[in-house]
Parts: sequence; C-alpha cells; structure tokens
Amino acid sequence: MYALAVFITMVGLSYASVPLYRIFCAAVPGFSGTPGTADSSRLEPDRLVPATNFGRRIRITFASNISDALQWAFKPELREIRVLPGETALTFYKAKNKSDEDIVGIATYNVTPQKAAKYFNKIQCFCFEEQKLRAGEEVDMPVFFYIDPDFMNDPYMKDVNTVTLSYTFFNAKYAKNLAHQS
Amino acid sequence: MSFGRPPNIESFSGDPPALGSFPLDHLGECTHFMKKFLQCLKDNKGDNGACRHMSKSYLLCRMDKGLMAPDDLRNLGFKDLEGERDP
Repeated sequence: MYALAVFITMVGLSYASVPLYRIFCAAVPGFSGTPGTADSSRLEPDRLVPATNFGRRIRITFASNISDALQWAFKPELREIRVLPGETALTFYKAKNKSDEDIVGIATYNVTPQKAAKYFNKIQCFCFEEQKLRAGEEVDMPVFFYIDPDFMNDPYMKDVNTVTLSYTFFNAKYAKNLAHQS
Repeated sequence: MSFGRPPNIESFSGDPPALGSFPLDHLGECTHFMKKFLQCLKDNKGDNGACRHMSKSYLLCRMDKGLMAPDDLRNLGFKDLEGERDP
C-alpha cells in the first residue's frame, strides 16, 4: 500500500514538473542557459556609451557559412574588428547570387564562446527574415551590434578576448521554420 | 522547442535584433560610405574607436535614402559623436 502511494506521488510529480519548469525558468531568464527574452530597455542611450576605462579591446571575428542548397557566395567583408563594451559597431557581409534565377535566403547566426553570447546584442542585422536576391545580384549586408557593458562586471568574461559571430545562410524554400516566431 | 531537454545544457537560441532587419541596399546607394568605413578600419588595424564617425555616416546615409527607420543617433550609441555631421 505504502509503495503504491509512493509510486503515485512520483508519477504525479513528474506531471507537475511541466508547469513548475515554466514558472521557475521563465521567471528567471538566463538560469542554466535558458534564453532570456529580448529586453528593449537594454537599448537605452546610457548603456550605449563606449567604456573607455576598459583595459583592452575585445576582438570580434566574423565567419560565414552557406547551405549546400543555396547557390550564393557569402562572406564577411571584415575578418575582425576590435571594440569596447558599450561601443556600437558596424560590419558587413557580402552576398552574391551565383545562379540565374531569383533566390530567397534566410540566415541564422551563432556567437561563440557560449558564455559571451548573452552580452552580444544586435541592434540591427539581416537574420531571421527572408532576403531576396535577383539572379546575379550582389549586395552588402550590414550588422549593427554592441557588447553589453555588463560584460565588464562579469568575472567569467575575464578570459574572453575574442568573440566570433557566425552567420549561416539557408535557402528559404527548405527552411520554413527558421523565421523567428515572435 | 526548448522543453524536454535536461537542464544545465547551455542552450543558445538566437534573439531577433532589437530594431529588426536592415532592408537590402539593392541599388548600392550607400556603398560609398561603406567603402570609406572599410578603408578606415584597414588603416587603423581594425580599431573600431577610430572609425565610429564613418559608421555614423553610413547609418545617416541609410536613413536619408529610406533604407533604415530614422532614429535619434543617441539611441544608436553615438551620443558622444553628436554635433558632428559629415557633408
């Protein structure tokens, strides 16, 4: 009898974990890697001031990838740029449609090292939305970003000197689920 | 999408950009400013601090040509460069 009660309690607890997870992890963004929601208060002008008292410049390197199903040439115009936390920076990628028909592409991005990803804020870029290039067209795609000033106060970031931003372009025909659901 | 994975696995799901997406500059209207900016960075060995006024010009060009929603430069991090406007 006792064993049966314990069994039912355990089963009940595993069903309860669904709402418990939602309550706990959604209320505490960033805990254990759960993504935080985009916080528009972080874009206040006071946060976007270059931290000239920060000892070094952080090196941001850029990488690009293209899906095999996409006949584009896509590479960064700049290999690296050195910024201070809070300093907004601009970089460019160049994309060229090498085929002879219009193609719609869509991009995702990735930031490494993983622990620095939450400080990498993009103000404006070209990801998650479909971008159409006509046949043979070549275009420059800018990314406007900054490293959040909280980077300076995080002890785990002491050894982070290089942050890599990597974009991957997919063919929108085969990647319908990449458009960000907001 | 994220439920069901064990915790403590660092997950990264891309956040959308704060101001959305840049419309493509199909006609290359602001390419001149872009080239000046890239040249400045090459000359300064990738030091962004020396070339911020160029990125400001590029964004102003985009706003003028309707390729970017007009916004106060202070909101874009150029508070300290206010008052300078390239011809």
